[in-house]
Amino acid sequence: MQKEYLGEFEELVLTMVGILQEDAYGNAIVNEINERVGRTVNLSAVHVTLYRLEDKGYVKSGMGGATNERGGRRKRIFTITNAGLAILRAKKEQQVELWKLVPQLKISGI
Amino acid sequence: MSRGDSIEKSFILRILRTICPDKLYEGIEGDLIERYEEDSRGNRAKTARIKFFFHAIKFIRPGIILRNKFSVQIINVIMLSNYLIIAWRNLLKNKAFSAINIIGLAFGLAACLFIFQFVSFELSFDNFNEKLVRTYRVTNDRFQNGKLIQHGTIMYPTIGATMAKDFPEIEEHTRIMPGGDLNVKIGDKNFRGEQCLFTEEKFFSVFSFKLLAGNKPTLLKDPYTAVLTEKTASKYFDVTDKDYSKLIGKTFIWGLDTRPYAVVGICENIPINSHLQFDALVSYSTLYSGEDKNADISWTWSDMRHYLVLKPGTDYKQLESKFPAFSDQYFKGDKVSGSVEKFYLQPMKDAHLYSDYEYDIATTASGKAVWAMLIVAVFILVIAWINYINLTTSRALDRAKEVGLRKVMGAFKSQLVKQFIFESLLIVTIAFVVAFLLTLAFQSSFNEIVGNELSLKTLFQTLSAKHFLVFILVLIGGALLSGFYPAFILSSYQPAIVLKGKFTRSASGNILRKALVVFQFTSSAALITATFIVSSQIDFMNKTDLGFSKNDILLVRAPELMRWDSTFVQRVESYKDELSKVHGVINSATSWSIPGKRLGRSFGIRLSDQPSDTHYTMSNLGVDYGFFDTYGISLIAGRKFLPTDHNANWEKITTVIINKNAVKLLGVKSPEEAIGKEVTWGDGGRKYTIIGVVNDFHQESLHKPMEPMIFRPSYSTYNTTSIKIERLDQDKTIADIKRVYAKFFPGNLFEYTFLDQQYQQQYNDETRFEKVISVFTVLAIIVSCLGLIGLSSYTATQRTKEISVRKVLGASMANVISILSIDFVKLVMIAALLSFPIAYFSIQKWLQGYAYRITPGLLQFILPGLAIVLIATATVSFQVLKTARRNPAETLKYE
Repeated sequence: MQKEYLGEFEELVLTMVGILQEDAYGNAIVNEINERVGRTVNLSAVHVTLYRLEDKGYVKSGMGGATNERGGRRKRIFTITNAGLAILRAKKEQQVELWKLVPQLKISGI
Repeated sequence: MSRGDSIEKSFILRILRTICPDKLYEGIEGDLIERYEEDSRGNRAKTARIKFFFHAIKFIRPGIILRNKFSVQIINVIMLSNYLIIAWRNLLKNKAFSAINIIGLAFGLAACLFIFQFVSFELSFDNFNEKLVRTYRVTNDRFQNGKLIQHGTIMYPTIGATMAKDFPEIEEHTRIMPGGDLNVKIGDKNFRGEQCLFTEEKFFSVFSFKLLAGNKPTLLKDPYTAVLTEKTASKYFDVTDKDYSKLIGKTFIWGLDTRPYAVVGICENIPINSHLQFDALVSYSTLYSGEDKNADISWTWSDMRHYLVLKPGTDYKQLESKFPAFSDQYFKGDKVSGSVEKFYLQPMKDAHLYSDYEYDIATTASGKAVWAMLIVAVFILVIAWINYINLTTSRALDRAKEVGLRKVMGAFKSQLVKQFIFESLLIVTIAFVVAFLLTLAFQSSFNEIVGNELSLKTLFQTLSAKHFLVFILVLIGGALLSGFYPAFILSSYQPAIVLKGKFTRSASGNILRKALVVFQFTSSAALITATFIVSSQIDFMNKTDLGFSKNDILLVRAPELMRWDSTFVQRVESYKDELSKVHGVINSATSWSIPGKRLGRSFGIRLSDQPSDTHYTMSNLGVDYGFFDTYGISLIAGRKFLPTDHNANWEKITTVIINKNAVKLLGVKSPEEAIGKEVTWGDGGRKYTIIGVVNDFHQESLHKPMEPMIFRPSYSTYNTTSIKIERLDQDKTIADIKRVYAKFFPGNLFEYTFLDQQYQQQYNDETRFEKVISVFTVLAIIVSCLGLIGLSSYTATQRTKEISVRKVLGASMANVISILSIDFVKLVMIAALLSFPIAYFSIQKWLQGYAYRITPGLLQFILPGLAIVLIATATVSFQVLKTARRNPAETLKYE
């Protein structure tokens, strides 16, 4: 697979889509990242990343129902695809493998 | 909520909407509004607004914009090709109409291309000089008794150097003195006809003429050295391989000089758009290499031109303001040179177009004429565009249904605008191509008229980047504008009204159309008047009694290889005697100069009984006793020169003749009283008796007033021979004269011209202007009439039914035609009236350039007006005739 590469920010957004499930849309993701990681990110950056992830096939999107909030505009809800889950999993495993290779001796250094 | 509403209408969202892919936009907008609502909770409304703005603006990024390109592009391509097809079909549907449109526009554009060539060439003069903006010519006005007596570029050799010494603003300076004709001997070969200038080593630093060979810093420093142009060098030394370095050190003999001149450099041929033209340069130091140092240090010898390069950032006006003090210091009023000297600076970039100086070495042209041509060009262009707008909008009725239907089918206004602009572009493009073809086809005829080698290439070469931009903007911008207007008019129709058939042309559109027609014909009529008056002024100048006869006078150049000696007078006398025996020769005379040339002036003339601080200035001319007879200049009082007035020893000449103006200037009451009085100049040591007074004659063109003149009886080796010959069989007479010339002056080249041709050269500028303006007037009329044809035939077709009904009810043919054309004729009449004042004021301005001019009569303004009304009436009637002749049964049977 050539498109296997996933950037750090992409990985973060993708993870959030996975966490938020049916409630994953631009603004919610921004808030979620702020809450869980303590990082303030840009709304437009999140949008662009989501579209890119959609291009790569890791998420898909559809319009949600209209609400009274947000001027009656519908939300574009993103859901993670199997490919998305697979790459997240692969990423995690890869990191664990790599982590194992790091010598852990320093922990005992009192 | 109200706050939310206002946010939703914010302009930034509108921008976002246009750049975002439609698919994504709702989600993005929703997110932005939600964020705003979150932010504005509490009392943070103000910051929320600002934050909203920044959030939104950050969406304008490639990640968003690039996302929508592809899908839209396909639609565009499909639509564009559809527009093209529709535009093409429309063109073909109304072939005559499209042809008028295209030809009108193409004529206008072609005319502009021609004029722009001419104008850009004239404006490009001296642009190749790197220091152009810092280079100035010193000019010199001289005053006597409070009156301007000379307005020239010539002055004393000391001016440049003294100014440079006194004014630190001057970076470098060079002086130039025209050296006239180089008649050169190399080995056993003679060459003649190359013009040379005496100048100094700084010349090549002040001007950017390119050197092909030679050492720049010391060039022209030593006496008897010369720099040749490529052309001259190839001619003299027969160089074909462009290797000029081998010529350095070669020598030639000039005229009667015994010391040879050494070639020290070769420069590129002088660009034709240089105000200085020369074939060779000779070192200035040659002039003062002998005993006489006057050429370097004199404060009274005035033949030199000075050029200054100022340091960057110098305000030349400020430097100029120091010149009065300079003049006081060195000229002490009129104590030194006999006149009060005033100095000015002329930017070198103005030398070609804005010079009215006497004794100018610059090739000059009239800046006024150049700008007038540019205005004509712009007018023609505007006329052409107006035509286009008029023709397109006049057909609105035809297109209105189409527009209505398209709108019903869901076309946006923007799409319709695009479609109409596309149509305009198609027509404009075709017109451009036709215009370029026309330009190529008529280039050589145009070049003949303007007497120059112009082409589209010169246009692009001579235009500076800035002007080029303006040029392109004018062409493209005009084309777009004239396309936009109809596009917006046509696309704005309301489908409901149009399709119900209630649509009629709007009154405002009609008024505009009428105004445009009036504008077109006003300019055409003004142009006709201008052409008319320019040509009558030229006619006037040709027909005016000049005070001498200029026809059938042959001018033979002086034998340059003749030395002055005591036998010279005798030799010329026998030469003239022999000439008079040639069959066909009526009379002959030799003179220092000839009519049509600017004469030298004497500044300190006075009557011998007047106080010595009296100064009068007269043009002086050395002539022999045959001069007045040969030229038919009439005597008012006293007698003409006799052979006895001449003397080979100049010290023994004691007589002069003056003209009527000189009598007036000297304060003598009548010509008769002047006879026998004595004039003198300088220290008053020598006195000359006035023996005759002749009538004033036009020594120079009618631009210049006739000046006071003084004639002295003299012979010189430089004198031109004027020979009055019979009109018949001139070729044979000339051949005989040549034989006589060869007998008396062996070894000299026989060169001749006719006086009338030479005199006529003074009017080159106006004859050229006349030709050009008449050609373009005709063009303007054609273009205007084309527009009128289109408009009138269109309205005629529109009113077919009305006409038929009128005919059925008994209207006559003439009746119908007048009904159809009266509207247009009225407009043209208004235009003709409007053109009177415009033409009058501009032509008055032009005529001010002539000392002797016509007073334009009423007739000269009325006739062009009548002409344009007639032309327009003819055009319109011819067009409507077709409609008027149709059988009413044919047009009415469908009702």
